[in-house]
This record gives sequence, structure tokens and C-alpha cells, in this order.
Amino acid sequence: MITFFKVVWGEAIKQHRNYFHSKTIYISLFVWPLLSFVTAYYGYLPFEIETAKIGYLNGENILIYLLLGYMCMSFFRSLVQSAWNFSFERQSGTLEYIYLSPGNRFAVLLGNALSSVLESMIVMLVFGIFLMFLHKEVLRMQLGTCMVVFCLMMLMAVGWGVFLNACFLFSRDTDFLFTILEEPMEIFAGVKVPVILFPGWAKIISLIFPLTYALEAVRETVLNEASFYELKGFFFISMMILVLLFGGTLITIQIVEKHMRKTGNASLF
Amino acid sequence: MGAKVFFATVWKEFRVRLHAYPISFMVSCLTTGIYTNLGAWLMYHCFFEGRLSSDFSLYAGTGDYMSYVIVGSCTYLFVVRTCLNVSRTLVTELREGTLDSLMLAPFHRSAYFLGNMALQTVTTSLELLISVLIGLFFGLQIYHFSPGKFIIAVILSLYGFFGISMMLGCLMLYTRNTYITQNTLFSLIFLLCGITFPKEYLPKALQYIGALLPVTDAVDLLRTSLLGGMTAEDWSATAMRLFVLSSIYILMGFPLMEKAERIALEKMEG
Amino acid sequence: MISVTNLSKTYEVKRRDNFWTFHKEKIHAVKNVSMRIEKGEIIGLLGINGAGKTTTIKMLTTLLEPTAGSYSFDGIDAVEYPQKVKKEINMIAGGERMLYWRLSAYENLWYYGQLYGIQNTVLKERIQSLLQMVGLWEKANLPVESYSKGMKQRLQIARGLINNPNYVFMDEPTIGLDAVITSELHQQVKELARKQEKGILLTSHYLAEVEELCDYIYLLSNGEMLIEGTKKELTDYVFTRKQCAFSVKGMDKQVEEKLFAALREYDTEGEISEMDKGVLVTSERELTAFLADFALREGYVIQELYQKEPSLEDAIMKLSKEAKQ
Repeated sequence: MITFFKVVWGEAIKQHRNYFHSKTIYISLFVWPLLSFVTAYYGYLPFEIETAKIGYLNGENILIYLLLGYMCMSFFRSLVQSAWNFSFERQSGTLEYIYLSPGNRFAVLLGNALSSVLESMIVMLVFGIFLMFLHKEVLRMQLGTCMVVFCLMMLMAVGWGVFLNACFLFSRDTDFLFTILEEPMEIFAGVKVPVILFPGWAKIISLIFPLTYALEAVRETVLNEASFYELKGFFFISMMILVLLFGGTLITIQIVEKHMRKTGNASLF
Repeated sequence: MGAKVFFATVWKEFRVRLHAYPISFMVSCLTTGIYTNLGAWLMYHCFFEGRLSSDFSLYAGTGDYMSYVIVGSCTYLFVVRTCLNVSRTLVTELREGTLDSLMLAPFHRSAYFLGNMALQTVTTSLELLISVLIGLFFGLQIYHFSPGKFIIAVILSLYGFFGISMMLGCLMLYTRNTYITQNTLFSLIFLLCGITFPKEYLPKALQYIGALLPVTDAVDLLRTSLLGGMTAEDWSATAMRLFVLSSIYILMGFPLMEKAERIALEKMEG
Repeated sequence: MISVTNLSKTYEVKRRDNFWTFHKEKIHAVKNVSMRIEKGEIIGLLGINGAGKTTTIKMLTTLLEPTAGSYSFDGIDAVEYPQKVKKEINMIAGGERMLYWRLSAYENLWYYGQLYGIQNTVLKERIQSLLQMVGLWEKANLPVESYSKGMKQRLQIARGLINNPNYVFMDEPTIGLDAVITSELHQQVKELARKQEKGILLTSHYLAEVEELCDYIYLLSNGEMLIEGTKKELTDYVFTRKQCAFSVKGMDKQVEEKLFAALREYDTEGEISEMDKGVLVTSERELTAFLADFALREGYVIQELYQKEPSLEDAIMKLSKEAKQ
């Protein structure tokens, strides 16, 4: 077990040093999401916000509604980016050395995802809390439930990251994966438009992204005072998603290692 | 001499792209177009069910939200594609190690960049055609098409985009970074230039910054030449402003580019 | 000891017939390779004509699973227990890849140390001693991207020893390095084997390097073991006939013709070939006395007469030509 955590820690630190060596990384982690958040906010202004079909939504809390969307999305999105970066390990040959070592493969993927989530959330979280503090009159939340939901969301983000790491690391065409995952997540996970108002086909697509569920729960608990009991559906679904993501990753790792030892090729998809 | 360099650059770039056309670039640009339109469609039809605020048509000059957004996103696609490729040319030469042999030759930079721009304009126009088709699907309607204004708007816009590309190119060559520089600029353009919402909604300070980017006027000109909503005097004034602004960009761009080249080569030695 | 018995690897590749259909084809990358590597030995693995060197190394390092055959490390079955074996081995590859350029040398080694689960106190000491050994301790905290080619290669050596492996696989470790650094690295490789008792398997394109370093050589051709032995055994096997370099004052065509006639009388299979200076005489029989006698008899003043030892390169070139035919 200690060895497992040594690998997680080692990978997290390596990831930090390797990608956060330059401060410009914070431009992509903070400035871009901030700019798209501001753009999205002004994108609402051409509409009569008061007439929106979501009960608790109004002209005052739309900013926080959107902020929560972009904040949660930036955690999930940073993982897509870091998974994409991680895929270069295969091209640079360092993946072979990782496979040469007896280190636990799952621990490597986990360390990588953990490091991305923690590093990318700090700035956005501070900014988000600051903005929420400025608009505290619109917040209607139960702190306890909110904390639990937030922790679950982080866990889901890590699970999502580990799963993406596995997908990107073992995929032939990572650019393609990146293209299909980056932008659709913003549209279909309901960052700007609540999923509940989507047409049927879009609702089905939205089910793929764990962010969809996490976002809904976070908004319900921060803006609509949802209780622990009211969110039981979310807790159940998030557990299922975590099992699916971590299970899927473990299976992928197993298959890939077998496949790689047989064919000498790490790309599976 | 200039024409020789121009045609040689067009030919070289054409050969290079024919060989390795960056399909993923094109795909990502097209999907950005689709997603922008889809996002707007969901907002308009699903979220707010077509209820626009009263000041929208006042600012936009049209009450058709979808057409407004689609023309904006097509223009944005054009900016991104041209800027991306023209500005990247020298950085690409630097990365591939051809920059110093290129700099050895006594050629006109202007012809070189214009050659790149010309080829890129043709490529992007073809890609744009697909975007317009996608736009039609999402409800694009052209109400007040004025061919004369449209042609002038396109020429002026290309002139303006060339100016921005030069500046961005300098920045890329100086920082040797394409990813961060280009995406930050594109995010700023998306926010400030009235791509998906009228810029009048922005605070005054941001509007002034937006006015410094030629894209703002270019979008206005292109949009009104297709959808109407601007008086002839306003249109001419905007066109004039775009011309002057772009000229300033270009006039500043060339000497800056030479400086950036020198710095890039020095850094390479160090 | 690493003991390899009849190791084979067959790949199945899809070959497209046309747009719709394809068929599967078997490619035998390695066939029935057997070898032994003892601790303290440097073993050379050479290959000609798409030999299967890389596949063999990848199988030995447990990255690839053999289709048939077995191999064990100090008695541990590597096919059955690859995880156990991974602790005992490591690899040093040539070239500048396979390092994290933005990390410092220390951080690179620390990271791999974590993957091997090495205790922190042990790891700290080991990193220091390894970096001192390869002469990078002073620059341990600089990012690898600022290193020269030679420094990166020395860091690769330190990386390959981070888990204190009993067996090290070196894949073209001196590729692209200049003569001075190459010779330093040779020294380090020798020390690893002689002083630290590590078993080393070395592949290289530079035959002179293999000749200098390796105690025993395996030569692969088309995935099969063509020949094995010490350098002397290999050259003796290839060059069964003796060779002498010979030249006299005023050597011209006429002298060569006379020599050829005398040689054929002495040995009907004898041969003469041109060299830069003089000729190279080849025969089944003893040549030195014959050539001295010839010069004395004809009244020539000898300028050069020595028995030529064939190099490993000569042997490999000859084997390669024969294998192609």
C-alpha cells in the first residue's frame, strides 16, 4: 500500500514539475475559463432572463448560476487537457520506462489526475468563492450538503481524469478525442443551458458526461437549498459513475498491458 | 522580385499543405462553429424560447438572434483560421529549422506574408462555405444582402485580419509560443468584438479595448452588409475606421516583425 | 544468471487486400533464440538484416511476451512473474528521448525511484551517488533541457541504475556521442560489470565498441541466432584462412604476378588482393616464412610483412554478405 501511494505521490509531483514549470499554464487554467465565463454571461443579456423556465433562476442569481457552471467545468476540462498532455509520454518514450518499472499503473494514472485537479482548482476556486461572497444575498445553500456534494464532484472529476488518462494514453488519435471531448462538454453538460430544457437527443448526449450530474447537484445545493434527502438520486448516480470510471480504468489498464506485451504496441483504440 | 516571392510562397505553402494538411485544425474550427451555433440555438429556442430583451434589436440592428450569431461565428472562424496560419508561418519555420536559411535570402517580407495570406484566404473560404451551410441549418437568413458593401467589407476585413496576424506573429515569434498566445487573443476577440452578442452590453472600458481590434469593425461591416441595420453614413465611417486601424497595425507590424526575427535568431544561438 | 531458452516471438499483422478486405499474416520476428548472461559479464547482441534485436530486448525486459520459449532471471521465471523480474533489471537507451526535459536530473531520478518504491532515505543517497558517478552532481538541479547530449546520456545511465539492478540492458547507449564522451561511457560500463558485478547486455551499431567491451557476442540474423562466441572465436570461425600484408620496394604489377605464381605453387587456393600499400595474401598455409623466402629468393627489399588479425567488423561484414546470399 505504501508503494502504491509512493507512486501516486511521485507521479503527482512529476506532473506538477513537468507541466507547471511555467506560469503560462495558469493562463490556460484560469484566464481562458474566466474569459469564456464573462463571454457567456454577456451572452445571456440579449434575453429576458426573468422569463427563464427554471424556477429558482432570476436576473440576480444568473451570474452565480453561470459561475458554478464554469467553475465545475474548468475542473473537468483541466483533466481533458492534462490527459492530452499525458498522451505525449508515449511519443517521448517515457511510457516505456514506466512500463519497465514494477510501479502500479493505476497509481500512475491516479497521481496524474489528482495533481491536475488540485492544481487547476485552486485559482478558480478562490475566484469563485470571492465572487460568491460578493453576491452572498442570492445564495441559498445548506453548507453541510454543499460540502458533501463538492467533495463528490471532486471525486468524480478525479475518476473522470483517471479514465481519460487511460483513454488518451492508449489511443492512436488523441487529437480526435480531444476535439470530441473539449467543446461538447461545455454545450451538453449544461454549463450554459440547463440540461432539463434540452431536446431529447441532446439530453441523451448529456448523459455521457459526469459533469452533467455534478453540475446539476452543485447548482441545486448552492442556489436552491436542496437538502441531503432531495439529492439522494445524485448520490446514487455519482456512486455508480465512480464505480464505472474506476472500474473501466482498471479493466483498460489490464487489457492494454496484455495487448502491449503481445503486440509491442500500446495503442488500443 | 515581390511577385516572384509572392507566387513562390503560395506555391510552397500549397505543396506543404497538400502534403500534410492540418485536418485536425480544420475539424476543430468547424466543430467550434457548430458548437457556437448549437449553443446559441439551445439558448434561444430551449432556454428563453425566443424571448429577446427589448434592447437587443436596438443594439444589433436586427431582431433575428440566430442570424446575428451565425454571421458573427462565421466571421470569427475566418479570423481564427487566417490569423492562426499567417502568424504561425515564421514560428513554424523557426521550429523546423528553416528560419535562418530563409532569413539569409534578401526577400520582401510583405510578399512572403501576402503569399501566405492569399493561400489561406482561399483555403478558409472553402471551409467557410461548409460553415455557412451549417448556419443555414441553424436558421441563418440573409435579409438585406448588399453585394457592393459585402465585397468592400470582405476586402477591408482581410486587410484588417492581415494586420492582426502580423502583430500576433510578432508576439508568437518573440515568445516562441503559439498555443497560449493565439488562444488568449482568440478568447479576447470572442468576448470583445461582438461575435455572439452586441458589444454595447459590455462595460464602456471593455468596449474601448474592443474598438482597438479591427475584428470589431469587420464583424459590424460584414454583418450589416448581409443583415442590414446600419445607415449609409455609419457604414462608411466604420469602413474608414477599419481601414485606418488596419493600416496602423500593418505599418507597425513590419518593423516589429523584423525585430522579432532578429531576437528569435539570437535566442536560437543562445 | 539470465537464461534464455528457445525464445520466439510471432506477430500477427493485418494486411489490407483492398478497401474492404484484409488478411492476417504471421511475422516471425524472433525464432528459437537461446542465450546466457552471467553477472559481471558484458554480452554483446548484434544483428544484421532486420535481426530482431529490439524484439529480443523488449522480451528480455518483460515489455513483450514471448510466443514460445522461456527465460529466467536468477531462477525467477520471467514469463510467469514479470513484476518480480522488473525489480532486478533496467534499461539504458541511447538518444535524447525518454527523459523529462523540464525536470531536473534529480527530479527525473526521484520520480523513477518512486515508481520502483525505493525508500526515501535510500533513494536520496542513491541519487547522490549515481549523479556523482556520472559527473552530474554539480548540475543535479538544472532542468534536463539545458543539458548537452553527453550529459543527457550520462543521466540515462544513472536512471538505468536507479533500482540498483542486477542486470542492465543497454540499447545503443553511445549513439550520436563524440569520441571523448563515448570513451568515458565505455569506462563506466566496464566498471559496472567488473566492479559492481552487474550483468550487461549491450546492443550497438558500432562494432569497435562491441569489440572493446564485450566478453561474449551473440549475432542475430533474420530473427535467428546466426553465431555466438568470444570475439576470437567469431573471427576464427569466419576467417579460417591466414592473412598477411606484404609489400616490397618498387612493388608493381610484375612483382604481383610473380608473387601470385609462387603462391599458387605453394597453395593452389591462395589469393592476392590489393591493399593501400602492397597486397593482402590469403592462404590455408603458413604465410610469413613463405613470403620472406619469396623476397629473399627474388632479391626484393621487404617494406612490410605482418600477419593480419581480422577485426570483428571484417567478420560481421563477411557474415552479413554470406547471410544475404
